[in-house]
Amino acid sequence: MEEVIKAEHLTKDYGGGRGIFDVSFFVKKGETFGFVGTNGSGKTTTIRHIMGFIKPKRGQVFVQGLDAWKDSCKIKENVAYIPGEIAFPDLSTGIEFLKAQAELLKLNDMSRADELVKRLQLDPSANLKRMSKGMKQKTAIVAALMADKDILILDEPTTGLDPLMRETFLELILEEKKRGKTILMSSQMFDELETTCDRVALIYEGKIIDIADVNALKNSTIKSFKIEFLNKEDYQKFKKLKYKIVRDQEKYFQVTVEIDDGEINKLFRSLKNYKLKFIAEVKYNLEKHFKKVLEKELKGGQNV
Amino acid sequence: MFSKALFKQSMKANWVKWLCVTVATCVMLAIVIIVLGSLAINDIRDSLKGVFTEAGQEGFLKENTVDSYDAYNLSVTFAHNINDPQTFGALGGMYGTLVKDYADAVDALENPTDAEKDALKSEVSLSLSSKYAPLVSLMGMDMTEEELAQFFYILFMVRDDNPTFTLPNPADYVDDTYTNGADNPAYQLAYAEALNELKDALKENFVEYAGMTAYELYIEKGEEEAVASEYAKQAEKLTNDAFSSYAEKASADDFVYDEEMFKEEAKAYVINMIYEEARAKYLPNGEENATEEELNTAEQYGVVAKVLANTALSTYELWLDEYSNTEKYPDLTQAEIKDKARSEAVESITDQIPPDVGEALEELGNMDIYGLIIGSIFYRIAGLLLPLVFVIMVANGLLAGQVDSGSMAYVLSTPTKRRTVAVTQMAYLMLSLFAMFLLVTITSVISIWVVGGNNFAINFAEICFFNLGAFLTAFAFAGYCFMCSAIFNRSKYSMSIGGGLSIFMLVCTILGLFGSNVVPSAMRIDAMNVFNYFSIISLFDTVSILEGAIAFAWKFAILVGISIVTFIIGVFRFEKKDLPL
Repeated sequence: MEEVIKAEHLTKDYGGGRGIFDVSFFVKKGETFGFVGTNGSGKTTTIRHIMGFIKPKRGQVFVQGLDAWKDSCKIKENVAYIPGEIAFPDLSTGIEFLKAQAELLKLNDMSRADELVKRLQLDPSANLKRMSKGMKQKTAIVAALMADKDILILDEPTTGLDPLMRETFLELILEEKKRGKTILMSSQMFDELETTCDRVALIYEGKIIDIADVNALKNSTIKSFKIEFLNKEDYQKFKKLKYKIVRDQEKYFQVTVEIDDGEINKLFRSLKNYKLKFIAEVKYNLEKHFKKVLEKELKGGQNV
Repeated sequence: MFSKALFKQSMKANWVKWLCVTVATCVMLAIVIIVLGSLAINDIRDSLKGVFTEAGQEGFLKENTVDSYDAYNLSVTFAHNINDPQTFGALGGMYGTLVKDYADAVDALENPTDAEKDALKSEVSLSLSSKYAPLVSLMGMDMTEEELAQFFYILFMVRDDNPTFTLPNPADYVDDTYTNGADNPAYQLAYAEALNELKDALKENFVEYAGMTAYELYIEKGEEEAVASEYAKQAEKLTNDAFSSYAEKASADDFVYDEEMFKEEAKAYVINMIYEEARAKYLPNGEENATEEELNTAEQYGVVAKVLANTALSTYELWLDEYSNTEKYPDLTQAEIKDKARSEAVESITDQIPPDVGEALEELGNMDIYGLIIGSIFYRIAGLLLPLVFVIMVANGLLAGQVDSGSMAYVLSTPTKRRTVAVTQMAYLMLSLFAMFLLVTITSVISIWVVGGNNFAINFAEICFFNLGAFLTAFAFAGYCFMCSAIFNRSKYSMSIGGGLSIFMLVCTILGLFGSNVVPSAMRIDAMNVFNYFSIISLFDTVSILEGAIAFAWKFAILVGISIVTFIIGVFRFEKKDLPL
């Protein structure tokens, strides 16, 4: 499959440990790629490189085979962007802004924009300066999506949206994905990346720690169960059984065990003999996955 | 290279600022010009200037009075000296030496020119006069050395008219054969006739000499040839009158030469002459055709002239007496005494003011207040302030402001090149400034037209150059601020380095104004001029424009150079730098 976005050993050192270091990844055509990481981890810096706003110190970014810095103007013919910070040009209303943007995009057909406005329940005639954060974000989303570009680069696009709107937006992203768009989005929220992305990269202190395949994670056969016992004896007896205990909370007589789907009946049979307070499945999701990876990384780091 | 959409966006973002600044500047300028044009702001200046012009006239009149008085007295003395037959007897020998010395001096030169010959005549006259002065004095003749030299020179003039001229020798008119040892009356008559002929020739030449001297004097004073000729004629008439007056009195049988009486006469004659002259100046159509008003004015000025002349002569006499006191002033020669007394007598009001104050006042009188207020204060400071604020704000907002806020991301996420962005924003800044100054220029031209067009202190060409200069200055600032806006990603740096320096320069120009030579020296602090070296506004040379000099043109060229260089740096820098969007 064609690699629409490809970063190779991207490095930009701002000094003091800030910046990005040897970042390499690729996004295939039609794929939705996520970036997750804490504030200042380097998500935005990486995106700025892709947009050609900053020049890499080392390494290169290619968008559809073109150098993102040198051909930054050309690549934008197929790229739409929602910046992380919402600040509009000095214009009066949302409509005026969208029209100006359409003019810059040489876009004559505003039907897609109208459709998006309706979907997001946006009032574009409002004054840009007096818009709430959510309103501004919606306007930015419309401005980015109205030209129907093949590649979408979204830097934390859901900030400021209320939960309902967030759902609508994520639906929108999924629709775009179905229409064959290549999407790269960053977020601090695992769940929204989990619902939309095919693969998610974890950036920590400027480095890509892990790239997780969300589909593989979802279809994983390994399940976790949290079990609380009524008394200490049962708790201790259970621990002696050879289950993989990932979390142990002695105070509450609680354990979390990890088993393969095939072992489920065996587990229930074992539990027949104990008095339980409750049992619950703990979903193994992206957040869990990355936490695990990060803990390992940190421990590894300490060991080195 | 150019994006119409972005240009439109910049226009929408900045039109309110543009309109406010343009309207405010135009209104300010119109008020300044119309108010200055309707108020007679130059009145004080004119009256000051008047004082100095009148003082000059006063000095001129007094000089004329004293010189005429001297000439009259000199004529009388001359007439008296040549009236005595004895004089010629005594001078006969001297004349021989004079002619011989002159002939020797001419022979010493090869082919001397007329001018050289004239110089030799003066030289020989002077050298012989100092030689013969004691002798002349011994013979009881009242002739100073100066007068003697003059007399010799006039003898040369007589000789020029008649090359074979000789002084009549009394010995040639003696007839020994006449009875009883008495002179032959026919010979006596012949001698008297010869003397009279000589006296007439001397008088004629003396009059000519007086006219010549007066002509040279007035040319030396810087008067035009026609004026000098007028005064030469006046001197000739005066000399002639003095001779006639002497001759009339001398012909009386009981004539006794009284120097004081002739001095009184000279005084009366000169004062009347000055009075008539002053009146004539105010009667352009002559006495007969004058209106009553003209006559009144003429009389008024005539009387003033009379009073001034009288004062001058009295002062002159007093100072002559004072300097003639040999105990107090033992080293003064006759000529020096006259010179000193003359300079005391011709003093005008302004000569009595201390020289520094006088200069300051005269400069104040000559100061061009319109040029100062419209040129140096409005176009270089007050009128530049608002456009400068516009430039600082807009230049920052066009690039750095949008990068800082992040809104530039929307433009650059479309297929728009960075160079296109920079060039478009630059074009907006240039064109908005151009449009602004175009309206300011139109306003200024209309305002000048309202207050009298080219009759106003500042004409159309000058006001257009003022506008061009202000535009080019603002343009250079625009280039610099644009460059800063392109270099920095943060508004605060772009504003403080771009705008800060611009405002600093404007403040320097305000402070420097007090040290520049458009401010009269009484108010000027020369050391403040140092501030002008810190400001590019100094390249906008309003003084040079008003003087019609060319210096302002190359200074304009430097301003254009600054603009071009800074704009180009700005565009290239914006293309190459990292943008935090």
